Amino acid sequence: MMKKLIINNKESKYPIIQGGMGIGISLSRLSIASIKAGIVGTISAAQPGFLSKKFKSDTLNSNLEALAREIKTVRDECPDGILGVNVMYAGTNYDEYIKFLSKQEIDFIVSGAGLPVDLPKYLKGSSVKPAVIVSSGKAAKIICKKWMRSFNVLPEFVVVEGPLAGGHLGFSKEEIESGDYKSLETLLEEVLIEVRKVEEEYKVSIPVIPAGGISTGEDVARYIEMGSAGVQVATRFIATEECDVSDAYKQKIVNAREEDVIFVPSPVGLPGRAIRNAFTDALKTKNQKIKYCVDCLRVCAKKDIPYCITEKLGNASGGDAENGLVFSGAKAYMIDRISTVKEIVEELISECKYCFE
Amino acid sequence: MFEKIKDIIVENLGVKEEEVTLDASLTDDLGADSLDAVELIMAIEDEFDISINDSDAQAMKTVQNIVDYLNK
Repeated sequence: MMKKLIINNKESKYPIIQGGMGIGISLSRLSIASIKAGIVGTISAAQPGFLSKKFKSDTLNSNLEALAREIKTVRDECPDGILGVNVMYAGTNYDEYIKFLSKQEIDFIVSGAGLPVDLPKYLKGSSVKPAVIVSSGKAAKIICKKWMRSFNVLPEFVVVEGPLAGGHLGFSKEEIESGDYKSLETLLEEVLIEVRKVEEEYKVSIPVIPAGGISTGEDVARYIEMGSAGVQVATRFIATEECDVSDAYKQKIVNAREEDVIFVPSPVGLPGRAIRNAFTDALKTKNQKIKYCVDCLRVCAKKDIPYCITEKLGNASGGDAENGLVFSGAKAYMIDRISTVKEIVEELISECKYCFE
Repeated sequence: MFEKIKDIIVENLGVKEEEVTLDASLTDDLGADSLDAVELIMAIEDEFDISINDSDAQAMKTVQNIVDYLNK
Protein backbone atom coordinates (compact mmCIF):
# COMPACT_ATOMS: atom_id res chain seq x y z
CA MET A 1 0.00 0.00 0.00
CA MET A 2 1.12 3.54 -0.76
CA LYS A 3 2.41 5.36 2.30
CA LYS A 4 2.41 8.97 3.37
CA LEU A 5 5.72 10.77 3.32
CA ILE A 6 5.87 13.57 5.89
CA ILE A 7 8.78 16.01 5.97
CA ASN A 8 8.88 19.09 8.18
CA ASN A 9 5.23 18.48 9.15
CA LYS A 10 4.12 18.68 5.52
CA GLU A 11 2.67 15.74 3.68
CA SER A 12 3.81 14.94 0.16
CA LYS A 13 1.03 13.77 -2.15
CA TYR A 14 3.24 10.95 -3.43
CA PRO A 15 6.15 9.39 -1.48
CA ILE A 16 8.84 10.34 -3.98
CA ILE A 17 11.78 12.71 -3.54
CA GLN A 18 13.32 14.24 -6.64
CA GLY A 19 17.01 13.81 -5.87
CA GLY A 20 19.47 16.69 -5.94
CA MET A 21 21.77 16.75 -8.98
CA GLY A 22 24.71 19.07 -9.60
CA ILE A 23 26.07 20.99 -11.31
CA GLY A 24 23.05 22.97 -12.44
CA ILE A 25 20.82 19.94 -13.08
CA SER A 26 18.28 20.27 -10.28
CA LEU A 27 17.54 23.93 -9.70
CA SER A 28 14.24 25.84 -9.50
CA ARG A 29 12.59 24.65 -12.71
CA LEU A 30 12.92 20.96 -11.86
CA SER A 31 11.90 21.56 -8.24
CA ILE A 32 8.80 23.54 -9.26
CA ALA A 33 7.76 20.79 -11.67
CA SER A 34 8.38 18.15 -9.00
CA ILE A 35 6.36 19.92 -6.35
CA LYS A 36 3.54 20.57 -8.82
CA ALA A 37 3.54 16.88 -9.73
CA GLY A 38 3.00 16.00 -6.06
CA ILE A 39 6.51 15.01 -4.99
CA VAL A 40 9.36 16.55 -3.00
CA GLY A 41 11.76 18.95 -4.78
CA THR A 42 15.51 19.18 -4.13
CA ILE A 43 17.84 21.92 -5.35
CA SER A 44 21.52 21.02 -5.61
CA ALA A 45 23.98 23.34 -3.86
CA ALA A 46 26.87 22.05 -6.01
CA GLN A 47 28.12 25.21 -7.75
CA PRO A 48 24.73 26.69 -8.71
CA GLY A 49 26.55 29.95 -9.47
CA PHE A 50 28.67 28.31 -12.18
CA LEU A 51 27.27 30.56 -14.91
CA SER A 52 27.75 33.76 -12.91
CA LYS A 53 30.39 36.21 -14.19
CA LYS A 54 32.11 36.34 -10.83
CA PHE A 55 32.01 32.58 -10.25
CA LYS A 56 35.78 32.14 -10.52
CA SER A 57 36.68 35.23 -8.45
CA ASP A 58 33.98 34.96 -5.79
CA THR A 59 32.73 31.40 -5.84
CA LEU A 60 31.05 31.29 -2.45
CA ASN A 61 28.94 34.41 -2.95
CA SER A 62 28.06 33.47 -6.54
CA ASN A 63 26.74 30.18 -5.24
CA LEU A 64 24.88 31.65 -2.26
CA GLU A 65 23.23 34.30 -4.43
CA ALA A 66 22.21 31.64 -6.95
CA LEU A 67 20.75 29.48 -4.18
CA ALA A 68 18.72 32.36 -2.76
CA ARG A 69 17.43 33.19 -6.24
CA GLU A 70 16.51 29.58 -7.07
CA ILE A 71 14.75 29.07 -3.73
CA LYS A 72 12.79 32.30 -4.14
CA THR A 73 11.74 31.29 -7.65
CA VAL A 74 10.35 28.03 -6.31
CA ARG A 75 8.60 29.70 -3.38
CA ASP A 76 6.97 32.33 -5.60
CA GLU A 77 5.30 29.49 -7.51
CA CYS A 78 4.97 26.86 -4.79
CA PRO A 79 4.78 28.47 -1.35
CA ASP A 80 3.61 25.30 0.37
CA GLY A 81 5.44 22.45 -1.37
CA ILE A 82 8.20 20.44 0.27
CA LEU A 83 11.53 21.86 -0.88
CA GLY A 84 15.04 21.00 0.24
CA VAL A 85 18.65 21.61 -0.72
CA ASN A 86 21.35 18.99 -1.11
CA VAL A 87 24.71 20.16 0.24
CA MET A 88 27.67 17.79 -0.09
CA TYR A 89 29.54 17.43 3.18
CA ALA A 90 32.81 17.17 1.26
CA GLY A 91 32.30 20.64 -0.19
CA THR A 92 34.46 23.59 0.83
CA ASN A 93 32.79 26.17 3.12
CA TYR A 94 30.18 23.61 4.16
CA ASP A 95 29.35 25.56 7.31
CA GLU A 96 28.84 28.81 5.35
CA TYR A 97 26.29 27.11 3.08
CA ILE A 98 24.40 25.62 6.01
CA LYS A 99 24.32 28.89 7.97
CA PHE A 100 23.02 30.69 4.89
CA LEU A 101 20.44 28.02 4.05
CA SER A 102 19.20 27.85 7.65
CA LYS A 103 17.58 31.25 7.02
CA GLN A 104 16.00 30.34 3.68
CA GLU A 105 12.46 29.20 3.03
CA ILE A 106 13.25 25.52 2.67
CA ASP A 107 12.11 22.44 4.55
CA PHE A 108 15.30 20.43 4.76
CA ILE A 109 18.99 20.23 4.03
CA VAL A 110 20.22 16.79 3.03
CA SER A 111 23.92 15.96 3.12
CA GLY A 112 25.93 13.01 1.90
CA ALA A 113 29.43 12.72 0.45
CA GLY A 114 30.90 12.10 3.89
CA LEU A 115 29.33 11.81 7.32
CA PRO A 116 27.72 15.19 8.13
CA VAL A 117 28.40 14.94 11.87
CA ASP A 118 27.85 18.66 12.55
CA LEU A 119 24.99 19.54 10.15
CA PRO A 120 22.46 20.22 12.97
CA LYS A 121 24.89 22.59 14.69
CA TYR A 122 23.95 25.36 12.26
CA LEU A 123 20.22 24.66 12.32
CA LYS A 124 19.48 25.50 15.96
CA GLY A 125 16.38 27.65 16.10
CA SER A 126 15.77 27.24 12.37
CA SER A 127 12.70 25.54 10.90
CA VAL A 128 14.98 23.83 8.35
CA LYS A 129 15.40 20.14 9.18
CA PRO A 130 18.61 18.12 8.80
CA ALA A 131 18.56 14.92 6.73
CA VAL A 132 21.31 12.54 5.70
CA ILE A 133 22.40 10.32 2.81
CA VAL A 134 24.19 7.11 3.87
CA SER A 135 25.51 4.03 2.14
CA SER A 136 25.48 1.61 5.09
CA GLY A 137 23.53 0.67 8.18
CA LYS A 138 26.57 1.52 10.23
CA ALA A 139 26.62 5.11 8.96
CA ALA A 140 22.90 5.47 9.74
CA LYS A 141 23.46 4.19 13.27
CA ILE A 142 26.44 6.45 13.93
CA ILE A 143 24.84 9.63 12.58
CA CYS A 144 21.69 9.10 14.69
CA LYS A 145 23.77 8.49 17.81
CA LYS A 146 26.09 11.43 17.11
CA TRP A 147 23.28 13.93 16.30
CA MET A 148 21.26 12.86 19.31
CA ARG A 149 24.26 13.12 21.61
CA SER A 150 25.61 16.44 20.34
CA PHE A 151 22.44 18.25 19.25
CA ASN A 152 19.50 16.30 20.66
CA VAL A 153 18.06 15.94 17.16
CA LEU A 154 17.51 13.03 14.78
CA PRO A 155 17.51 13.03 10.97
CA GLU A 156 14.25 14.24 9.40
CA PHE A 157 14.74 11.37 6.96
CA VAL A 158 17.53 9.01 5.91
CA VAL A 159 18.33 8.41 2.24
CA VAL A 160 20.07 5.09 1.54
CA GLU A 161 22.12 5.44 -1.62
CA GLY A 162 22.97 2.15 -3.29
CA PRO A 163 25.51 1.12 -5.93
CA LEU A 164 23.37 2.04 -8.96
CA ALA A 165 23.29 5.79 -8.25
CA GLY A 166 24.83 8.40 -10.51
CA GLY A 167 27.97 10.42 -9.98
CA HIS A 168 30.25 9.62 -7.07
CA LEU A 169 29.41 6.50 -5.17
CA GLY A 170 30.06 5.64 -1.56
CA PHE A 171 31.95 2.57 -2.71
CA SER A 172 35.60 2.22 -3.69
CA LYS A 173 36.92 1.43 -7.17
CA GLU A 174 38.04 -1.99 -5.91
CA GLU A 175 34.61 -2.79 -4.51
CA ILE A 176 32.91 -1.78 -7.75
CA GLU A 177 35.36 -3.62 -10.01
CA SER A 178 35.28 -6.84 -8.01
CA GLY A 179 31.51 -6.71 -7.65
CA ASP A 180 32.08 -6.88 -3.91
CA TYR A 181 29.37 -4.50 -2.85
CA LYS A 182 25.92 -4.80 -1.38
CA SER A 183 22.73 -4.31 -3.35
CA LEU A 184 20.36 -1.48 -2.52
CA GLU A 185 17.93 -4.06 -1.12
CA THR A 186 20.56 -5.34 1.34
CA LEU A 187 21.65 -1.83 2.31
CA LEU A 188 18.03 -0.79 2.82
CA GLU A 189 17.45 -3.76 5.12
CA GLU A 190 20.57 -2.86 7.13
CA VAL A 191 19.53 0.77 7.48
CA LEU A 192 15.94 -0.13 8.36
CA ILE A 193 17.18 -2.33 11.19
CA GLU A 194 19.28 0.50 12.64
CA VAL A 195 16.65 3.20 12.16
CA ARG A 196 13.88 1.04 13.66
CA LYS A 197 15.96 0.75 16.85
CA VAL A 198 16.29 4.53 17.02
CA GLU A 199 12.56 4.99 16.34
CA GLU A 200 11.76 2.54 19.11
CA GLU A 201 14.12 4.18 21.61
CA TYR A 202 12.99 7.76 21.02
CA LYS A 203 9.38 7.10 19.99
CA VAL A 204 9.74 8.93 16.69
CA SER A 205 9.24 8.15 13.04
CA ILE A 206 12.17 8.56 10.64
CA PRO A 207 11.39 7.96 6.96
CA VAL A 208 13.97 5.75 5.23
CA ILE A 209 14.27 6.49 1.52
CA PRO A 210 16.22 4.23 -0.88
CA ALA A 211 17.97 5.82 -3.87
CA GLY A 212 20.10 4.77 -6.81
CA GLY A 213 18.82 3.11 -9.97
CA ILE A 214 15.13 3.40 -9.05
CA SER A 215 13.40 3.84 -12.36
CA THR A 216 10.08 1.99 -12.47
CA GLY A 217 6.88 1.86 -10.45
CA GLU A 218 7.67 -1.77 -9.75
CA ASP A 219 10.89 -0.62 -8.02
CA VAL A 220 8.87 1.88 -6.00
CA ALA A 221 6.38 -0.82 -4.93
CA ARG A 222 9.17 -3.26 -4.02
CA TYR A 223 10.99 -0.81 -1.77
CA ILE A 224 7.81 0.38 -0.08
CA GLU A 225 6.88 -3.25 0.50
CA MET A 226 10.28 -3.71 2.18
CA GLY A 227 9.49 -0.95 4.65
CA SER A 228 10.77 2.27 3.12
CA ALA A 229 8.66 5.42 3.46
CA GLY A 230 9.16 6.32 -0.18
CA VAL A 231 11.92 6.48 -2.78
CA GLN A 232 14.30 9.01 -4.27
CA VAL A 233 14.47 9.29 -8.05
CA ALA A 234 16.94 11.52 -9.87
CA THR A 235 18.31 10.45 -13.27
CA ARG A 236 14.85 9.87 -14.75
CA PHE A 237 14.02 13.51 -14.14
CA ILE A 238 16.98 14.69 -16.22
CA ALA A 239 15.16 13.70 -19.39
CA THR A 240 12.30 16.11 -18.82
CA GLU A 241 11.30 19.38 -20.42
CA GLU A 242 11.52 21.08 -17.03
CA CYS A 243 14.98 19.90 -15.95
CA ASP A 244 17.38 22.85 -15.58
CA VAL A 245 20.27 21.22 -17.47
CA SER A 246 21.13 21.85 -21.16
CA ASP A 247 19.34 19.99 -23.95
CA ALA A 248 22.67 18.44 -24.99
CA TYR A 249 23.00 16.81 -21.55
CA LYS A 250 19.41 15.55 -21.69
CA GLN A 251 20.04 14.06 -25.15
CA LYS A 252 23.12 12.20 -23.87
CA ILE A 253 20.89 10.54 -21.29
CA VAL A 254 18.19 9.75 -23.84
CA ASN A 255 20.66 8.28 -26.36
CA ALA A 256 22.72 6.27 -23.86
CA ARG A 257 22.82 2.52 -24.40
CA GLU A 258 23.63 0.12 -21.56
CA GLU A 259 27.32 -0.07 -22.55
CA ASP A 260 27.60 3.72 -22.55
CA VAL A 261 27.04 3.94 -18.79
CA ILE A 262 30.57 3.65 -17.44
CA PHE A 263 32.79 4.46 -14.47
CA VAL A 264 35.30 7.28 -14.66
CA PRO A 265 38.09 8.11 -12.23
CA SER A 266 37.63 11.39 -10.41
CA PRO A 267 39.76 13.96 -8.61
CA VAL A 268 38.47 12.71 -5.25
CA GLY A 269 39.65 9.16 -5.84
CA LEU A 270 36.20 7.60 -5.83
CA PRO A 271 34.69 6.16 -8.99
CA GLY A 272 31.94 8.18 -10.63
CA ARG A 273 29.23 6.82 -12.89
CA ALA A 274 28.85 8.73 -16.13
CA ILE A 275 27.87 8.51 -19.79
CA ARG A 276 30.71 7.71 -22.18
CA ASN A 277 31.63 10.60 -24.47
CA ALA A 278 34.66 12.23 -26.14
CA PHE A 279 35.84 13.44 -22.74
CA THR A 280 35.76 10.03 -21.04
CA ASP A 281 37.51 8.50 -24.08
CA ALA A 282 40.27 11.13 -23.90
CA LEU A 283 40.65 10.48 -20.19
CA LYS A 284 41.75 6.90 -20.86
CA THR A 285 45.03 8.07 -22.33
CA LYS A 286 45.86 11.26 -20.52
CA ASN A 287 44.93 13.60 -17.72
CA GLN A 288 43.20 16.82 -18.71
CA LYS A 289 44.78 20.20 -18.18
CA ILE A 290 43.45 22.02 -15.11
CA LYS A 291 42.47 25.53 -16.21
CA TYR A 292 41.34 27.01 -12.92
CA CYS A 293 40.49 26.01 -9.36
CA VAL A 294 37.64 27.33 -7.25
CA ASP A 295 38.57 25.04 -4.35
CA CYS A 296 35.23 23.26 -4.59
CA LEU A 297 35.93 20.12 -2.57
CA ARG A 298 37.90 19.67 0.62
CA VAL A 299 38.73 16.15 -0.49
CA CYS A 300 40.26 17.08 -3.87
CA ALA A 301 44.06 16.64 -4.04
CA LYS A 302 44.21 19.60 -6.50
CA LYS A 303 47.48 18.29 -7.97
CA ASP A 304 48.06 15.30 -10.28
CA ILE A 305 44.33 14.86 -10.72
CA PRO A 306 42.76 13.50 -13.94
CA TYR A 307 40.63 16.62 -14.52
CA CYS A 308 38.77 19.38 -12.70
CA ILE A 309 35.37 18.11 -11.68
CA THR A 310 33.69 21.52 -11.42
CA GLU A 311 34.90 22.58 -14.85
CA LYS A 312 33.87 19.33 -16.56
CA LEU A 313 30.47 18.93 -14.86
CA GLY A 314 29.71 22.61 -15.34
CA ASN A 315 30.61 22.54 -19.02
CA ALA A 316 28.49 19.46 -19.69
CA SER A 317 25.61 20.99 -17.78
CA GLY A 318 25.94 24.21 -19.76
CA GLY A 319 25.77 22.44 -23.13
CA ASP A 320 29.09 20.80 -24.00
CA ALA A 321 28.00 17.25 -23.33
CA GLU A 322 30.81 15.76 -25.46
CA ASN A 323 33.78 17.44 -23.77
CA GLY A 324 32.29 17.73 -20.32
CA LEU A 325 31.34 15.13 -17.72
CA VAL A 326 27.83 13.68 -17.90
CA PHE A 327 27.16 12.06 -14.54
CA SER A 328 24.24 9.64 -14.61
CA GLY A 329 22.60 6.80 -12.74
CA ALA A 330 23.02 3.18 -13.89
CA LYS A 331 19.57 2.94 -15.47
CA ALA A 332 19.95 5.90 -17.84
CA TYR A 333 19.87 3.49 -20.78
CA MET A 334 16.21 2.73 -20.04
CA ILE A 335 15.28 6.31 -20.82
CA ASP A 336 14.40 6.79 -24.47
CA ARG A 337 12.66 10.13 -24.71
CA ILE A 338 12.22 13.52 -23.14
CA SER A 339 8.97 13.69 -21.20
CA THR A 340 7.63 15.81 -18.36
CA VAL A 341 8.03 15.42 -14.61
CA LYS A 342 4.26 15.00 -14.27
CA GLU A 343 4.21 12.17 -16.82
CA ILE A 344 7.03 10.32 -15.07
CA VAL A 345 5.47 10.71 -11.62
CA GLU A 346 2.07 9.53 -12.86
CA GLU A 347 3.65 6.55 -14.60
CA LEU A 348 5.63 5.57 -11.48
CA ILE A 349 2.59 5.90 -9.27
CA SER A 350 0.18 4.02 -11.52
CA GLU A 351 2.71 1.18 -12.02
CA CYS A 352 3.29 1.10 -8.28
CA LYS A 353 -0.43 0.97 -7.51
CA TYR A 354 -0.87 -1.79 -10.08
CA CYS A 355 1.80 -3.84 -8.30
CA PHE A 356 -0.05 -3.47 -5.02
CA GLU A 357 -3.37 -4.59 -6.46
CA MET B 1 44.86 4.55 30.83
CA PHE B 2 46.50 2.97 27.80
CA GLU B 3 45.09 -0.46 28.67
CA LYS B 4 41.57 0.91 28.93
CA ILE B 5 41.87 2.70 25.58
CA LYS B 6 43.38 -0.39 24.03
CA ASP B 7 40.31 -2.39 25.06
CA ILE B 8 37.97 0.19 23.52
CA ILE B 9 39.95 0.23 20.28
CA VAL B 10 40.08 -3.56 20.04
CA GLU B 11 36.36 -3.76 20.61
CA ASN B 12 35.39 -0.97 18.21
CA LEU B 13 37.85 -1.44 15.38
CA GLY B 14 38.02 -5.21 15.51
CA VAL B 15 41.83 -5.25 15.58
CA LYS B 16 44.20 -7.50 17.54
CA GLU B 17 45.50 -6.32 20.90
CA GLU B 18 49.14 -6.41 19.80
CA GLU B 19 48.39 -4.07 16.91
CA VAL B 20 47.33 -1.31 19.29
CA THR B 21 50.61 0.43 20.13
CA LEU B 22 51.02 4.04 21.23
CA ASP B 23 52.51 4.96 17.86
CA ALA B 24 49.75 3.30 15.84
CA SER B 25 47.89 5.60 13.48
CA LEU B 26 44.14 5.09 13.69
CA THR B 27 43.66 5.20 9.93
CA ASP B 28 46.93 3.84 8.51
CA ASP B 29 47.74 1.13 11.05
CA LEU B 30 44.38 0.28 12.59
CA GLY B 31 42.30 0.69 9.43
CA ALA B 32 39.75 3.11 10.88
CA ASP B 33 37.66 4.97 8.30
CA SER B 34 35.81 8.19 9.10
CA LEU B 35 32.82 6.23 10.41
CA ASP B 36 35.01 4.15 12.73
CA ALA B 37 36.70 7.28 14.03
CA VAL B 38 33.39 8.91 14.99
CA GLU B 39 32.20 5.67 16.59
CA LEU B 40 35.46 5.28 18.53
CA ILE B 41 35.29 8.81 19.91
CA MET B 42 31.72 8.22 21.07
CA ALA B 43 32.77 4.98 22.76
CA ILE B 44 35.55 6.84 24.58
CA GLU B 45 33.06 9.53 25.64
CA ASP B 46 30.79 6.82 27.04
CA GLU B 47 33.58 5.00 28.84
CA PHE B 48 35.08 8.09 30.48
CA ASP B 49 31.80 9.99 30.79
CA ILE B 50 33.21 13.05 29.02
CA SER B 51 32.38 15.12 25.96
CA ILE B 52 35.06 15.56 23.30
CA ASN B 53 34.53 18.48 20.93
CA ASP B 54 34.82 17.96 17.17
CA SER B 55 38.10 19.80 16.66
CA ASP B 56 39.80 17.87 19.47
CA ALA B 57 38.36 14.66 18.04
CA GLN B 58 39.67 15.44 14.57
CA ALA B 59 43.15 16.07 15.99
CA MET B 60 43.33 12.50 17.32
CA LYS B 61 45.37 10.68 14.71
CA THR B 62 47.27 8.17 16.84
CA VAL B 63 46.66 6.15 19.97
CA GLN B 64 49.17 8.42 21.72
CA ASN B 65 47.02 11.48 20.84
CA ILE B 66 44.03 9.88 22.59
CA VAL B 67 46.06 8.96 25.67
CA ASP B 68 47.49 12.50 25.86
CA TYR B 69 44.06 14.05 25.56
CA LEU B 70 42.63 11.91 28.33
CA ASN B 71 45.61 12.55 30.60
CA LYS B 72 45.14 16.31 30.39
